Amino acid sequence: MPGMRLAKWLAAVPMAVLALATIYPLLFTANVAMKTRRDYVLDRFSPADSLRWDNIVEAWAGAGMARYFANSFIVVAFSVALLLLLGSMAGFALSQLRFRGSSLIFLGCLAGLFIPFQVIMVPLTRVLADGGLVDTYPGLILAYVAQFLPFTVFLMTSHYTTIPAEIVDAARIDGNTIYGVYRRIMLPLGVPALLSVGILNTLFCWNDVLISLLIMPSPDHRTLMIGVNSLRGQYSSDIPTFASGVLIAAIPVLMIYLFLQRRIADGVTAGSTKG
Amino acid sequence: MGSSLRPVSRRARAERLAPYVLVAPTVLIIVVLRLWPLVLGVNFSFTGDGELNGTVVGLGNYLELAADPLFLTSLRNVGLLVLLLPVAVAIPGLLATFIYLRVPGHRVYRSVYFFPAVLSPVIVGAIFNLMLAFDGPLNTVLGAVGVGPVDWLGDPGIAMFTVIGVHVWATFGMALVVFLAGFSTLDASLLDAARMDGASLHQIIWHVIIPSLTRTIQFVFVTTMIGMLTSMFGLLFIMTSGGPEGSTYLPEYYIWHQQGQMNRPALASAASTVLFVVMLVVGLLQITLLRRSGRQD
Repeated sequence: MPGMRLAKWLAAVPMAVLALATIYPLLFTANVAMKTRRDYVLDRFSPADSLRWDNIVEAWAGAGMARYFANSFIVVAFSVALLLLLGSMAGFALSQLRFRGSSLIFLGCLAGLFIPFQVIMVPLTRVLADGGLVDTYPGLILAYVAQFLPFTVFLMTSHYTTIPAEIVDAARIDGNTIYGVYRRIMLPLGVPALLSVGILNTLFCWNDVLISLLIMPSPDHRTLMIGVNSLRGQYSSDIPTFASGVLIAAIPVLMIYLFLQRRIADGVTAGSTKG
Repeated sequence: MGSSLRPVSRRARAERLAPYVLVAPTVLIIVVLRLWPLVLGVNFSFTGDGELNGTVVGLGNYLELAADPLFLTSLRNVGLLVLLLPVAVAIPGLLATFIYLRVPGHRVYRSVYFFPAVLSPVIVGAIFNLMLAFDGPLNTVLGAVGVGPVDWLGDPGIAMFTVIGVHVWATFGMALVVFLAGFSTLDASLLDAARMDGASLHQIIWHVIIPSLTRTIQFVFVTTMIGMLTSMFGLLFIMTSGGPEGSTYLPEYYIWHQQGQMNRPALASAASTVLFVVMLVVGLLQITLLRRSGRQD
């Protein structure tokens, strides 16, 4: 079918251009981060003459990105750990155990899935403020857990549904309590799903702007993404340092992407095929 | 005898309670931090701000919203998003089709296109602040072919389109991956049969691919719309701050601005409620429209 072959080759050109347009902005930013201010003003496009780390150091230490990085790291680590723990517990109960109210609880989780943060951000901030949790790490961690728990429970439940009930029954007959079944059987069997969901939640929390801006606003508590924005004002005339800050904030995510791309894609598509 | 039974019954009771213990934290968090705030927020939207804090003002906030040009702009921009939605779905759909048909280099494209989808909107926005600068790369390329320079973020007639374009750049890989997952469920023999019959590419897309992927297309429509309405805050925050002249306001930015900057939480709650209704209506409308078109095939 010659027409088809021609169409494919014709499509290859715009697709290659698009691929370039996808990669180039980040390469440009990385290149700018390696330039001196003078070089940037003279010619922002030419490749930097050497790998200069001065700007990166300035952004990391001078502009406080180290502090923001630590804030993000603490909050994301605790949030994701809690999400995986609570999500797998609930997912196990909702998929494998029969108890009164389980379908109502599952419906409640689904309802939670369809409430966007923007719709509840004012009252949520107030609820957290009443608990003295605004501008604290636990407050932001709770906000993230609440935001991504419905999705986590949903995916863990659908993963655990695929595990045959006989496995649980056999473990019960062997004398395991339900908690024992969770710890010895369900957690190990849940690892593939926990990895996918964990990576996605890490990306969601790490990349979040709005929730962190609302719940942990003070300068000391800024997470990395808010830090990038404050860098913009601070270094508006020093673009190479600004670009370095952007690079610092992007690198952890790029690492995750490079090594775990397949898992991210699996997590994203899980909802579309199972839903 | 009683003493030997007791541990057993205690264990039985613990076992009966175990499922509830397992779901308790989740239920508590979802009820207190998601469902309850939804009720609270709707309630809150009928009360006043500042001196009127806690007093019922009826529809006062909603009337104020209806008269606020910034809020109206944000709704108009939602309309623009809805209009551009088919484009935002068609682009990844077409690209996925070509990758599925094994365009030269198809293996590389999948990973390359997906990569911006993992970046935070703030990172994407910051990078594009550099790319779209008046003397930045994009204007330089356009200048080379005799166009521009364009004031991408400074012209009220252009800025919103720019932000949407950047959002599409950052997210089309997500939809692409979903489309490819849909393609993997496609019956290859159908495609071969169509090829044997000498069907053209656009006949194949129209009569084979689209009808078989109805569910995937529905899913992408709904998730892309939700993405547009709920994850552009970071871009607006770092690229335009709602400007120029308020032209790039979206409801989420408006809500944040009223709550955080203007100290008008009750008014912000009213805007939240409007946003929720808008999303429900748009979502339901899409689902019914897509269902109907799916049935016709």
